[in-house]
Amino acid sequence: MLSENGISASTPETKDFIRWMTTEAWNNYQKDRMDKKIIVKNRIDSHPIVIPNATKGKHYSSPVITLPTEDAFDFSIEGPDELGLIVLHDSDGVFKIAGTPQVTGDFHFTLRYKYHGWLEGEPLLERKIPFAVNPNPRDLWKDIPTPTDIQFFKEDCEAEQIIIKAGPDGSPRKDMVAASKRGRSHAQEGKARDDHFRLFHSDDNDWYIIAVADGAGSARFSRKGSEVACNTVVDFCKTKLADASAFEEKINNYRNANDEETARKILGDAVYSIVGNAAFMAHKAINALSDNVEGTKPKDFATTLLLAICKKLDFGWFVASFWVGDGAMCIYNREKHTARLLGVPDEGEFSGQTRFLTMPEIFRDARSLYQRLRFGIVPDFTALMLMTDGVSDPMFGTEANLNNIDRWDDLWDKLSNGFPEDDIPGVDLSDDNENVKEGLLKWLDFWKPGEHDDRTIAILY
Amino acid sequence: MSRRLPVYLLIDTSGSMRGEPIESVKVGIEAMLSTLRTDPYALDTVSISIITFDREVKQVLPLTPIDQIQMPEINVPESGPTFTGAALEMLCEKVDQEVRKGTPDQKGDWMPILFLMTDGKPSDLQVYKEAIPKVKSHHFTNIVALAAGPKAKTDELLMLTDKVFQIDSMDSTAFMKFFKWVSGIIEEGGKSIGATDDVALPPPPDEINVVI
Repeated sequence: MLSENGISASTPETKDFIRWMTTEAWNNYQKDRMDKKIIVKNRIDSHPIVIPNATKGKHYSSPVITLPTEDAFDFSIEGPDELGLIVLHDSDGVFKIAGTPQVTGDFHFTLRYKYHGWLEGEPLLERKIPFAVNPNPRDLWKDIPTPTDIQFFKEDCEAEQIIIKAGPDGSPRKDMVAASKRGRSHAQEGKARDDHFRLFHSDDNDWYIIAVADGAGSARFSRKGSEVACNTVVDFCKTKLADASAFEEKINNYRNANDEETARKILGDAVYSIVGNAAFMAHKAINALSDNVEGTKPKDFATTLLLAICKKLDFGWFVASFWVGDGAMCIYNREKHTARLLGVPDEGEFSGQTRFLTMPEIFRDARSLYQRLRFGIVPDFTALMLMTDGVSDPMFGTEANLNNIDRWDDLWDKLSNGFPEDDIPGVDLSDDNENVKEGLLKWLDFWKPGEHDDRTIAILY
Repeated sequence: MSRRLPVYLLIDTSGSMRGEPIESVKVGIEAMLSTLRTDPYALDTVSISIITFDREVKQVLPLTPIDQIQMPEINVPESGPTFTGAALEMLCEKVDQEVRKGTPDQKGDWMPILFLMTDGKPSDLQVYKEAIPKVKSHHFTNIVALAAGPKAKTDELLMLTDKVFQIDSMDSTAFMKFFKWVSGIIEEGGKSIGATDDVALPPPPDEINVVI
């Protein structure tokens, strides 16, 4: 080669030259390959690859991941199979990850590939991709029973149904059911349920009385406050309505009145003396209780209260109510597509701020108390529902939605159909169903992220 | 969408954080995420954003629910100033953009929590001072500042919050303890939301000194 180019060299010179030339060329060659490799590696490293995190036990399917095949080939990914996932290859450099992961933790997948120019035997290039499998939040909730030796112990859940058979004329009569369940946030810490309810139906004169109360989370003995509130108002109304003939006459007069305003005032005063007084009795009963329990103030028993009394009359239903605090109370009519809210929830500016039965200002003057009362005659309805915010918050989200009839339809559908995706069956609210309370209690287990308060709902249907 | 508890982490990435300190911070944050992911409240509600500040301010992690977070790259330049003030400016901007306010049709997010970690002092003191009232008007339930290492100054941090804590060393043990404690504050925040305006702090671990 040298002599062809007119160069004369001795044998040692030739040998040395060849050694020099090949070493030089070899180094350049290696450097060139290394550069190529680094360029490709940098490209692949900076190529956006997002493999979203998964949740244990939940079906997972990543978006399609596409790698730049103009830079590299023979892509493979290692790691998913150890977590119970599979890699679905479409073509080289195009794949997705799917399956149901069975372990939790922080992991790394290893992406391996060959760059163009890769030679047999050379190690593959790789990139680590972080991937996390979250625990299913539902597996993390603990259910610690409430210690039975605490002051004012209350069962973690309660359900009741009052099935009322057809009247003497054979027409079906509405039943009542209520269920109350300790929220997951309380169960997690072995704390007691603060909600309460009470149902009553008079077999003598067919009056229905329903009370639901939500003890304030921040008040020490609110579980007792809600109980005293429900018991006091129901007992009071029960006594007042034991002989309801005079009251019913006022309802009749109101219905037939020529002078509606006067009749309405007369009936309003009667409602005030029953429902309004019931609430005031409950307020006083809690004050008396706090006097008797050393070191407590009424606000340690802070509770909301929703109370409804009703009766079916010849011309429709008479319903009267009192409401202080958050939650929801409504007459729902599926066929007519109406939802009549029995008051305005007292929602604070921030979540958790509301008004309570225990606040003196609620009863400061008759006018403010009057504003919390509702009464009226309504045609037959699908259901009268009372619920604490543990149910209304996840179902409605905001106060404004309580006035949205479609949201009440949604709630009714959810009651009927349950939550199939979470294996929670619907509640059979057909007349005279003897197993309705178990169904309703189970239904209260529905899942909604961030909504883990005590849940109570009472339905007249 | 359910309501989120937004948590903003402001991390000093000025030159002095290079090497072990920043690696320790990263390990600390990762450990914090792992802890939070095993708490059912936190997993349901907590979203985290990370803003780093050196001569540049970057939101390296937009507000993201913890189950979806993948730890971002955090790079530290070789040297340069610490623009803590600019970081607070960006923080306010991001809170305005990312934290949902309540409307009649939708409940807003919970009020956010802020953690600020620095190993020095603000180089943009004027901007910093001007940003403080802005930060205060953003209704953080809690602002916790950590002064890490011997060069960290606490005077400026005390203008921002009365909850200033100090750790002497910048190794992984110290940061790990700090972030474990931070997880506790966040978890507590998730539980007592709404009940009080100010989330009660659990007592800090031994290595962390309260600055009075």
